[in-house]
Amino acid sequence: MSTLLKVESLKKYFHVGQGLVTARFSKSVRAVDDISFSVEEGETLGLVGESGCGKSTTGRCINRLLEPTAGSIHFGEIDVRKLRAGKLKHYRRDVQFIFQDPYASLNPRMTFGEIVAEPLVIHRFGTKKDREERAKEMLKTVGLSPEHIHRYPHEFSGGQRQRVGIARALMLRPKMIICDEPVSALDVSIQAQIINLLEDLQEQFRLTYVFIAHDLAVVRHICDRVAVMYLGKIVELGGWKEVYNAPCHPYTQSLLSAVPVPDPEKQHERARIILRGDVPSPIDPPSGCRFHTRCPIAQFPICSDVEPPLDIVAGGQRAACHFAKPFPIPEDKM
Amino acid sequence: MPPLLEVDDLHMHFFTRDGIVKAVDGVSFSLEPRETLGVVGESGSGKSVTALSIMRLIPEPPGKVVKGDIRFRGDSILAMGEKEQRKLRGNRIAMIFQDPMTSLNPVYRIGKQIAEPLRIHKNMSRKDSWDAAVELLKQVGIPQAADRARSYPHEFSGGMRQRAMIAIALACGPDVLIADEPTTALDVTIQAQILELIQEIQARTESAIIMITHDLGVVADVADHVLVMYAGRAVEFGTADDVFYRPLHPYTWGLLESLPRHDVDEKGQLCPIKGQPPSLINLPQGCAFRPRCAYSQGVCTMERSGLVEITPGHFSACQFSGDSGFVEKACGFLSRER
Repeated sequence: MSTLLKVESLKKYFHVGQGLVTARFSKSVRAVDDISFSVEEGETLGLVGESGCGKSTTGRCINRLLEPTAGSIHFGEIDVRKLRAGKLKHYRRDVQFIFQDPYASLNPRMTFGEIVAEPLVIHRFGTKKDREERAKEMLKTVGLSPEHIHRYPHEFSGGQRQRVGIARALMLRPKMIICDEPVSALDVSIQAQIINLLEDLQEQFRLTYVFIAHDLAVVRHICDRVAVMYLGKIVELGGWKEVYNAPCHPYTQSLLSAVPVPDPEKQHERARIILRGDVPSPIDPPSGCRFHTRCPIAQFPICSDVEPPLDIVAGGQRAACHFAKPFPIPEDKM
Repeated sequence: MPPLLEVDDLHMHFFTRDGIVKAVDGVSFSLEPRETLGVVGESGSGKSVTALSIMRLIPEPPGKVVKGDIRFRGDSILAMGEKEQRKLRGNRIAMIFQDPMTSLNPVYRIGKQIAEPLRIHKNMSRKDSWDAAVELLKQVGIPQAADRARSYPHEFSGGMRQRAMIAIALACGPDVLIADEPTTALDVTIQAQILELIQEIQARTESAIIMITHDLGVVADVADHVLVMYAGRAVEFGTADDVFYRPLHPYTWGLLESLPRHDVDEKGQLCPIKGQPPSLINLPQGCAFRPRCAYSQGVCTMERSGLVEITPGHFSACQFSGDSGFVEKACGFLSRER
């Protein structure tokens, strides 16, 4: 296996405040603030965290839907930040996107056939007839019927629409797909169908996924490695077994303990860490460790003064905490 | 003594241009003080319409209760006039809505919105009701409540808005609290805070709670009894232990099975329920779940069976639930079972 994607010191700041005059004094939202990670070929990397932690922004920076503020992104040999016009378009053939909302991400005035064939039109592949053939084939691959090419999105349910979103992403035979919350708008029974489909397609097309989600159970199921984000930083990064069975960062620990499990007895017996308060504003994030304002084990002044590096800890994963220690959640308490 | 709240064979249909949408088509349950009923099901299964029917918040037309009754302490809510209904709504029966971003009025201060039910139902003065609102905000865990009561909803975060919504619902000390997906729009750490808060309040006020959710984890956390709904009908009802450990209906099996496992180190394929939920205008003949059911047989197309008590207090709407051999064989996969 080789490294397919390498992200280093990525930053994305959004300026808030308006106008030329005020721009100099304007504040910025540090949506993503100096994160580094890599994705191996054929694996699934999960990005998890609560809303506003920067996981979607990271995904969008990777395929340059957003222009990063600083840092480097390498895809194989390609320096993604240097790409312009034609080359950028070419790069996006290899890095496709699946969006969260299957209702908003499909043009209601296009048929399924047009939606799925559009990437081929944009990248000038084949004749109209070829494209229709490939669209039919792809609809079959994602579990829809080829006859559906003449139908419109409103005729279908969320799960079926998401299949079309997936078919569209696959049309150019990408190497990597960034899945931004692909199942969170779906009901559980349908969610499982789409997850199985994504897994089958990964095998069939040798895909690499960056899987962005807030649902920890889904990420546990589908991902090989997991990066946990908090306020624009990665706080823990490692194999799914290490992160889920022996989380080292107190944020990961509380996040995992907050997820209710569908088993009344275990749910009532579990040790839970309930965090107080809300996530602070990313405009003016806390000094030192960004989690110190809510952290159950914070010690002062070190946690409020010194930002902890993302270092390798006992379990083999990386965690950004001065007092990182494994907190094994015993099997029977999960 | 009659139960606190009783929903008896409720049929709420919507009469639309495309046909009759049978959103709720035969749902019954009853509720006692201090009890928490979890209502689960997919979107379109009729969970929210059931809740809104209890509150009488369904516009009629297009909605119409074609059959059944809802009784509060033995009195039919459906037979009441608008004036009497208003005395219940927000007072004895209160509701927490799903979306804290849109259910608060953006142009009134939070404190005023919490004080409103007190002014209406308890005839409190402006001053007294405001003080009570501040006290309520304190109770739901908002720091500097006196100052925050003067804030507008946009100044609150999602979690704080949901707390404010809970404060509104609690203002008059309701006997029944209906929570419609109260945590779906929130992050997990905030969800844990809110669920803890709701349980704490229940212990203090002894109110009954109807918790509507599609998250089986949330149900496992809070519910004493569970009602599983599918296509407008109740398919299974029982204690939480019954439904999670000894489920009887194939739809419940499907729901439990399609969740990613949280306790295994080997990753297998998920087992989704195949197909799509049916259209409520054009329900399949017989059992509504039949087209998606792995165990359906000829008899399932014939007639729809209602809830039948299989073991004491545990009901299922499947023809075969009474056959213990069938149930045991079919749900052997559930390692949760003991």
